[in-house]
Amino acid sequence: MTRGEDDDGFPTRRGVLATTAGVGLASTSGCIRRLRSLMNRETGQQVSVRIKTVPADKDPVAVTIARNLADNLETAGIESRVVLMPADELLRDVLINHDFDLYVATHAGASDPDFLRPLTHSRFAAETGWQNPFGFADLTVDDLLEEQRWSQGRSRRLTVEELQRELVRQQPFTTVAVPDDVWAVREDRFVGWREFGLASPLNYVALRPTGSEAAARRPGAETPARQDELRVVTTDSRVTENSNPIAVEFRNRGTFMGLLYDSLAREYDGSYNPWLAEEWTWEETGDDALDVTVRLREDLTWHDGSDLTASDVAFTYRFLSDTSLGNQESSVPAPQYRAQTSLVESAEALDDRRVRLRVTASHEVAESVLTVPILPEREWRPMSKEADIAGVEVAEGTTEALVWDNPEPVGSGPLQLERRIAGENVSFEPFEDHFLERGDTAPNERFGRIAFTSLDVRVAPSSTAMVELVAADDADATSSSLAADDVPRIGRNSDLELVVEQSRSYYHVGFNADVSPMSNTRFRRTVARLVDKEHIVRTVMGGYASPVASPLDGTEWLPSDLEWGESAPRLSFLGEDGQPDEEAAREAFENAGFRYDEDGRLIAR
Amino acid sequence: MVVTALLVATAIPVIGFVRLAELSNHVRPRLRQAAPYLGVLAATLLVNSVTRRIGPEVSWIIGWEITGIIYGIEGTLVPTLQSLSPPWLVTYFSLTYVYGYVYLLVFPLLAYLAIDDQEPFRKTVVAYTFNYAIGLMCYLLFIAYGPRNLLPNLVDPLLYVNWPRSQILTSEVNVNTNVFPSLHTSLSATVAILAYRTRDQYPRWLAASVVVAISVIFSTMVLGIHWATDVVAGLVLAVVSVRLADRVEDRHHGEAEGDEADESDDEERDEADEARPGVDEPGDDEELDATATA
Repeated sequence: MTRGEDDDGFPTRRGVLATTAGVGLASTSGCIRRLRSLMNRETGQQVSVRIKTVPADKDPVAVTIARNLADNLETAGIESRVVLMPADELLRDVLINHDFDLYVATHAGASDPDFLRPLTHSRFAAETGWQNPFGFADLTVDDLLEEQRWSQGRSRRLTVEELQRELVRQQPFTTVAVPDDVWAVREDRFVGWREFGLASPLNYVALRPTGSEAAARRPGAETPARQDELRVVTTDSRVTENSNPIAVEFRNRGTFMGLLYDSLAREYDGSYNPWLAEEWTWEETGDDALDVTVRLREDLTWHDGSDLTASDVAFTYRFLSDTSLGNQESSVPAPQYRAQTSLVESAEALDDRRVRLRVTASHEVAESVLTVPILPEREWRPMSKEADIAGVEVAEGTTEALVWDNPEPVGSGPLQLERRIAGENVSFEPFEDHFLERGDTAPNERFGRIAFTSLDVRVAPSSTAMVELVAADDADATSSSLAADDVPRIGRNSDLELVVEQSRSYYHVGFNADVSPMSNTRFRRTVARLVDKEHIVRTVMGGYASPVASPLDGTEWLPSDLEWGESAPRLSFLGEDGQPDEEAAREAFENAGFRYDEDGRLIAR
Repeated sequence: MVVTALLVATAIPVIGFVRLAELSNHVRPRLRQAAPYLGVLAATLLVNSVTRRIGPEVSWIIGWEITGIIYGIEGTLVPTLQSLSPPWLVTYFSLTYVYGYVYLLVFPLLAYLAIDDQEPFRKTVVAYTFNYAIGLMCYLLFIAYGPRNLLPNLVDPLLYVNWPRSQILTSEVNVNTNVFPSLHTSLSATVAILAYRTRDQYPRWLAASVVVAISVIFSTMVLGIHWATDVVAGLVLAVVSVRLADRVEDRHHGEAEGDEADESDDEERDEADEARPGVDEPGDDEELDATATA
């Protein structure tokens, strides 16, 4: 290709201009015009991106995805740099300040696909948390998200399938892989690790002392004595630093917060089951909404001994929808549980034990609103004031509730906080007044008294160190998932058992669509083609994962045409075995409307 | 345990029996003399341990994230170095990194306490202090993760894979963003520089310290803990710390020791100092015998 022509052989604009300017050289004014025309032309700069992620001590998979992508982008002429940061800093940058180009992280996923609504609906782009951190805005996607919210059954399924196709096509984020959760446990003191998986708070409620598992299940059977201490080890130190269930940057999958704070219902065995609630009834209202009337169990109390009443429940829903309680110019919704709270139009206490919520969604979607943690009004109402540091307002639209580290959490869950040492450990003890402790288990026959006198969660520096602690009987289980490299160490130790479960969470590369060129759908699609999902799953995840196109892969919501399999996947990798095909990659960017300079650098417009 | 064994095993051949025997008489007054220096070092270490807890939080507010820049400078040097190291060498480096390093830092304090001229002892303490103090400032200003954290697919965290306990132990004092500069490198180099200065009193220590220091410095890279850039920065920090220690020494002891204060060349002054113990100590010859037979 000669200069002045592009790859199709057409003369470029610059070439044409140079020629016409050349004709005008006869006159001086022509010369000046040429000079101006050239001087005012910006040559363009190389496209440069930073990929934020967590260090390998916390997540070797995420950093490898980022590193490989950065290398592949470099091959394609894009300057790229990986920026490592601790998980809470990363989430603060991505979810709160929206200060990133690209990031690699896991999203916790959810059982109902409605979680995609706050995640990708343009209406949520101004909010914090996992509320459209990408700044992605597309009317088709918005419409599909609304449609699935209001539909049920087969028609909802078809809508969700169409929605996934649209998300795969537009790539607000690139879903890389669904990992298996892999935990190491010891069964010499406690059993029942496989019932819910260690990511669920219910795992800790369902554990039984070894040898007594049968007795505890039978209703009315004598409750076995508590084993002394349950010791688990994690690589995620955030639980030791902050106990605020709505501080999004400190929360992972809500395992331990789910033990401190109860919700009206808990999801298990494929349905929503009563928990704080004794029962609830749904009622159609005239104007496109549903009313649910919830009756609480009798004699519920908070960890501080005060009564848990229907007005606490009504307060919780109002508070999570607007943590400023109407005191700020625009509402400040809690960044967590937004899929649920955005469905609740109003909440009112009918009496001490009954509360009515008005929910704007189909019945199928609506039931999930019962799973948000219930907060004590007395503790949280004062947190509705604007956050400040020593009286100085720092960030408008932030309430105390979002930045509070909640050192002495008062919940109503089966465990209460005993002690917390930041960066080291946190311990919980059973809450003696919990309804499970009273034997008031109906209709939760699956659960009985807590089986341990305390739960100690200790922070380990890495996955390898976690296995070491469990192997040395310094811990009973790992509560963070293991790195694939450490799995063989468990097989070699006969005291250790491996618990493997497909995770709902997924690794993804997020794009900041507020920043050029990530705002360009074609750019995002091309970048997506530089992530070799199969290679990553094979090499760093040791097969304990599956490469996926959609975040709903592994659920019944995935349409067959988005399955990862024999047929050529959409947006397939431009290369082989992790190695990008330089020519193909550059051609893909050129086809997407990008240009390269003489040095082979991709140029921003 | 391991360190104590090493100290005991090397004390006699390096320091000499007589000096060790006399050390018990001298240790109290000498320590008392050096108390202000030791106090400052202790205070620095205390500040260090406190700041290491809150340091990372402060760093993320004021610091500069440089992991990607370091990687841009040196690329895959560390993984290459690692791939060239056979397993036995990795085992050697693991031991050196943990035990050799502590030995390297403790031994000179003991050895310099055993000689009449207390200047090397003071300088060692002051240079350690500067190493920690300046290192701490760098940790606040520069946020960098080591190679094992950026390149997990290329760099094995060898120390922690072979010996997971060590990470549990070290994580209580080390934060994984504190890699630039390498304090293992700077303190080891400091010890080696000072050993060179005192080579006439302790010729064997010079050899031993250089071997151990180089091993520690390489171990930081081979084990995937530090970048080569951190090591270079560590060497610079060592030189700076020793220079600053010279300044402090000149200011506080230069005048007391008369005309020596005017001599700017450290080498010459070291030699001048050495002349005296030879004259003062009648047991000098025996000491030579003791070291020769040990």
